[in-house]
Amino acid sequence: MSEGNEKKSSAIRARFRISLDTWAVAIALAAALLVRAGVLKHIPW
Amino acid sequence: MADSIALPRLRPISPQLHLFRLLPGIALLAAIGYAGKLLEQNLSRYAKAHHAVIPNIEYVLWAIVIGLAISNTVKIPGAFLPGIATYEFWLKAGIVLLGARFVLGDVVKLGSISLVLVALELGLAIALMTWLGRLFKLRPKLSSLLAIGSSICGVSAIIAAKGAIDADDEDSSFAIAAILALGAIALFTFPLIGHWLGMSDHAYGMWAGLAVDNTAEATAAGALYSDAAGKIAVLAKTTRNAMIGFVVLGYALHWASSGQAKTISNKASFLWQKFPKFVLGFLLISLLATAHLFNKEQLTSLANLSRWAFLLTFAGVGLRTNFREMTKQGLRPFIVGALGEVAIASLTLVLVLGANRVFHL
Repeated sequence: MSEGNEKKSSAIRARFRISLDTWAVAIALAAALLVRAGVLKHIPW
Repeated sequence: MADSIALPRLRPISPQLHLFRLLPGIALLAAIGYAGKLLEQNLSRYAKAHHAVIPNIEYVLWAIVIGLAISNTVKIPGAFLPGIATYEFWLKAGIVLLGARFVLGDVVKLGSISLVLVALELGLAIALMTWLGRLFKLRPKLSSLLAIGSSICGVSAIIAAKGAIDADDEDSSFAIAAILALGAIALFTFPLIGHWLGMSDHAYGMWAGLAVDNTAEATAAGALYSDAAGKIAVLAKTTRNAMIGFVVLGYALHWASSGQAKTISNKASFLWQKFPKFVLGFLLISLLATAHLFNKEQLTSLANLSRWAFLLTFAGVGLRTNFREMTKQGLRPFIVGALGEVAIASLTLVLVLGANRVFHL
C-alpha cells in the first residue's frame, strides 16, 4: 500500500474509532439490558 | 510529559487492541478494591466482636490508601499500566449505571439547582484563576489550562483544551500535576470539613461535586462521606462535565482570535466532539428506571454493578497518584492552583449552604 493510501485509511479508521466514553455507555447499557432480561439475576455487593 | 505524572490515558479502543494487555492492570485494580472492601468488613466485625471502638473506615478510603501506598513505594511494572489506565472507563460505566438510582424528576430538580450553581462556579473559577495566573506571572496558556481544569473537570478538560488552544506539553503537564495533587488533598480534607460543619448528605455531595475537579476524586470524596452524598456528588459533577464543550470552545475562540490557535469552522461538531457522552447514558438509564423498566431487585443489581465499577475506579485513583512525580513539576503552578482551589472551595461552600437554605437540598 502506498504511503498516501495508508494515511487515508488511518484517517478513516481514526474518524470511526469509538471513544472511551461511548464504550463505557455501550457496556453499561448492555449490562443493564442483561439485568433486565434476567441473564444477570442477582449482583451481590 | 503528562505520562510521567498521570498514567497513560486509555486510547480509543480499536480492533487491534489486545484485551489481554489490559488484564493484569484490571486484576490489580480489582484485587486492591476488593482488599479495601474486605478490610472494611473485617475491621467492622472485629470491632463488634471485641466491643472495640474503631472508626468505620469505608472501602473507598482503603482502596485509595492501598493504591497510594503501592504507587508511592514501588515502581509499578509496565505490564500493569494499560489495565490500570482503564479506571476512567470503570468510572464512566459506573456513572451511567448510577443513573438507575435516580428518578428523572430528581435529576431535573437537583440538576437544575446544580446547573445554576455550576454557572456561578464556572464564572468565579475562571475569573479567579486568570487573575491569579497574571499575578504569579504564569504563561497565559498555562493560566488558561489551570482555569479550565479547576472550573470544569480536571484532567479530562485540560486534555480536551490542550489541542484546542495549541498549548505546550509542558504547560498541560504543569496544569495536570497541580490539579491531581490538589484533588488528592481534597479527598482527605473535604469529608473532614463536611463533618466538622455538620453538613447534610445532599449539601455535602453538591459541594464535593462542584468544588473537586477530577470526576474520579469528586466521586470518591462524595462516597467517603456517605453513599447518598456520593450519589449527589456524581450528579453535580456530571452537570459540571456537561459544560466542558462550551468552556473549551470559548477558550479556543479566544486564542484563535489572537492567531495563537487553529480556527474552528464547525462549532456544533466541536461541541458534540467534546461533549461527555456518558452524561447521555446516565440520563437514559435514569429515564428507563423512571419508566419502571426495571423491578426493585433489578435496580439493586444495577446499583451494585455501579458500586463494583467505582471500586475499580477508587483503586485506580490511588495507583495513579505519585507525589514524588508531582513535586517535580514546579511550585508556582501548584501555588496558583492551591490558592485558586481554596478560594473556589470556600465560594462554592457558601453557594451550597445558601442553596441549602432556600431549596432544602
